[in-house]
Amino acid sequence: MAEQTAGTPSPTTLRRAHFFMRLSRAWDSRFESMARAGNIGRWYSAVGNEATTVGAALSLLPNDALSTVHRDLGAILTHYLDPTRLAPALFEPQDRTAWDALRPDPGALLHRLASQVLGRRDGFTRGVDRSFHYGLIDRATGLRHVGMISHLGAMIPVAAGLALANLQDGNQNVVVGFIGEGATSQGDFHEALNMAGVMKLPLILVVENNRYAFSTPLHEQFACEKLSDRAPGYGIAGETFDGTDFEAVHGAFERALARARTGEGATLLEAMLPRMRGHAEGDGSYELIAADERARWLTHDPLPRFEAWLTRIGAADAARIAAVQETATAIIEAAVARGLATPEPELHEAWRNPFAPGPVADAFARQHAEVTRG
Amino acid sequence: MAETTYLDAIRRALFEEMERDANVFVMGQDVAQFGGAFRVTKGLYERFGRLRVVNTPLCESGALGAALGAALVGKRPIVEMQFADFVSCGFNQIVNNIARTYYRWEQPVPFVLRLPFGGGAGAGPFHSQSPEAWFAHVPGLAVVAPSTPADALGMMKSAIRDDNPVVYLEHRFLYRREKESLGEGEQLTPLGKARVAREGRSITILSWSWTLHESLAAAEEVAREGISVEVIDLRTLVPLDEETVMASVKKCSKVLIVHEATATAGYGAELAARIADQAFEWLDGPVKRVTYADRSSPYNKHMEKALLPGREAIVAALRKLARY
Repeated sequence: MAEQTAGTPSPTTLRRAHFFMRLSRAWDSRFESMARAGNIGRWYSAVGNEATTVGAALSLLPNDALSTVHRDLGAILTHYLDPTRLAPALFEPQDRTAWDALRPDPGALLHRLASQVLGRRDGFTRGVDRSFHYGLIDRATGLRHVGMISHLGAMIPVAAGLALANLQDGNQNVVVGFIGEGATSQGDFHEALNMAGVMKLPLILVVENNRYAFSTPLHEQFACEKLSDRAPGYGIAGETFDGTDFEAVHGAFERALARARTGEGATLLEAMLPRMRGHAEGDGSYELIAADERARWLTHDPLPRFEAWLTRIGAADAARIAAVQETATAIIEAAVARGLATPEPELHEAWRNPFAPGPVADAFARQHAEVTRG
Repeated sequence: MAETTYLDAIRRALFEEMERDANVFVMGQDVAQFGGAFRVTKGLYERFGRLRVVNTPLCESGALGAALGAALVGKRPIVEMQFADFVSCGFNQIVNNIARTYYRWEQPVPFVLRLPFGGGAGAGPFHSQSPEAWFAHVPGLAVVAPSTPADALGMMKSAIRDDNPVVYLEHRFLYRREKESLGEGEQLTPLGKARVAREGRSITILSWSWTLHESLAAAEEVAREGISVEVIDLRTLVPLDEETVMASVKKCSKVLIVHEATATAGYGAELAARIADQAFEWLDGPVKRVTYADRSSPYNKHMEKALLPGREAIVAALRKLARY
């Protein structure tokens, strides 16, 4: 296990990290309130995961790939959006990266994301699939994001395949894949990490260990002390760290990325996270946790911790912190309002061809259309 | 000109397409230096190297999921299952992940799944199955099953070039038994198009892969009795070439469906339902099937043969149908 301290994050990194952590939290606040009011079907909160998800995605370069599951909104926002265009007042000219210049219009992308999560017409799937069940792969902008299917562990081999393509292309690009601790019990976890070890894939798998899979606690999920203990069994590196500590997250990713980019292979990271919410809002899984345990985890919120640290090292003052929070809230309020004003998907989308254009799609379209309607 | 076997035709397709497009690659167990369990990929490793002829550990789901990941970013993976029977270990990746990606978020998944399948070798319950119906049921998968070397070549090339997941069923019994002269140049068989393998007037046989050959032999035999049988090689099961199928059914007015897979909820049931729906008024008799018995494949060769839908069973069914 690598133990050396990575370099302190740059001021630019800290500004971006703070903004995206607050943006993710503002999004959760808005959707949690809609879920409580019964205005959306389901919401899977990412509260508590932000230091890990944002910290992970901040390290990515164009054509690095991101594979996400339920609680990785922070990574998606960080991966997609140019913050210097989205919130210009919060950033310095030097904060704008070369990749930011390539990234799509952040307002338009945020609108697609809000529409997707709200199930509206302008979403990435245009109504066909829910929330983070989609991907966005765009050669022109170097965005490579693959979302989840509900089977969860099934995405780990997919992340390995994204990494295999990098190996085949002989580039230094990497893949960061997220998974919950529950899915580490699935066979795909084993198959993918074994392949990653054998093939020395540039893959970083981040287990977001928030202590409960739906209602199942850790001791009913696995019997090893730490999930990163499994790494040596696959011949890959492994680290467990406090996923609410941005510095620890940053250090762990710097080490894992250095390995992946230099051909040393894969890393299994285990981010220990607080259980600050239930599986989905209002599904009863949160109430199952003892009240004193719930109260304890609520004191492990990564955001106040990060902001106290920013203050302590002189990277932000109270006014700056308030400005970031207010700006993030305003951006999300506007995006959700616009999403809610977006029409429902058009029904003909349900009938779209399941095949990509070509002879197969044409042959499918020629079939007797009324076969399912008598 | 030298004759090309069905197996060599598949290898030729892989070779030509890998030469043509650097994004095409092969992945599977023992596919590299060893050339795969049936030696279909023999020689590819020497030409294209370990990054394009990728040995995987023993992991069907892992390999299939990885193929999806690579396909999402522009690769065109071809995954070999050692035996089609083992694809069950990777089922979820195919039916939930690979098949559904394009409909969900419109990212094409160019992918070919090679399934060496079928019985006749006394190989027992886990090396003999015909699993096409498992995949025909899932929206988003093309399912093809060539019966001749020419189509094995031309359909593999078309499958590799298509932007969709294609389940390619290659029959183990045909690998070294079927041979024909193939020309030198580029040969593509379109996906989604059936082939009239034998013209006839009074009964249509719908079949594919190994049973297509049994059907042709049976048609030849009953021709001597004055029964004129048209044999359609479906080649592509999904999407079905309804135009060719219904034209033949309407011409002959009697239908026999022959497939090696078991009967219940087999692909023949789908064909029968579509024929009943679209050609009811033209039918002069019941739509009949000759299939594998609804059993696992016995290890003993004689027992297996008793359950296989071979020429004798087809001849008997044709005679019965002719009496209507």
